[in-house]
Amino acid sequence: MTPPPRDEDVEPAAPGIDENGVDRAQIRAMLALTPEERLKVLEEFVEGVFEIRESNARPVR
Amino acid sequence: MRARFAELLNDLATNQVEFIVVGMTAGVLQGAPITTVDLDLVHRRTPENIDRLLRVLAHLDAVYRHDARRLRPTESHLAGPGHQLLTTNLGDLDCLGTIGDGMGYDELLDRTVEMSLGEGRAIRVLSLPALIQAKEQAGRPKDLAALPVLRATLDELKRRS
Repeated sequence: MTPPPRDEDVEPAAPGIDENGVDRAQIRAMLALTPEERLKVLEEFVEGVFEIRESNARPVR
Repeated sequence: MRARFAELLNDLATNQVEFIVVGMTAGVLQGAPITTVDLDLVHRRTPENIDRLLRVLAHLDAVYRHDARRLRPTESHLAGPGHQLLTTNLGDLDCLGTIGDGMGYDELLDRTVEMSLGEGRAIRVLSLPALIQAKEQAGRPKDLAALPVLRATLDELKRRS
């Protein structure tokens, strides 16, 4: 009986990266959203970046 | 710092401001997984529209974001072809008189798509082919860097249609 493959022996599923390095799966995921939902993704990203910036701007005690 | 771009666009649309969303946010609205920290729009430079825009900007407490004096935009600023880089209580907003080779609202209008942001309010967004062309013409490293994702998004959209 063949033993089950170890994690390190298994290749992950091929990502949807095209010849320019663009992740097509990310595009398809965005296209599945409404324009309002796409803006929400952007807003959450921007607010997260500003939160990190602000927390790093505070003096370390 | 807030980034409530949907709310900002809804405020403008509700107050009948005529504008076109351009830049990276136009790409995001059409499905490109790209990021930006501000909202770029080209406004129509008629006195009536500038008046409506100024009223919304005042409500949003808009000031020039690179000026420590907290200067507020005026009618003469918004009537020109230049770029007004503002910060508002809903996020950073760039009001552009023109983009590229002097293209203003009227010249860009037939290169836009209409999109709904819910509640029936429609906004005008620079189409993906026109956005790609604008980025190609701008030719700066930051514009060229966005092109593979924008082109791939257009390709995915074509495959769907």
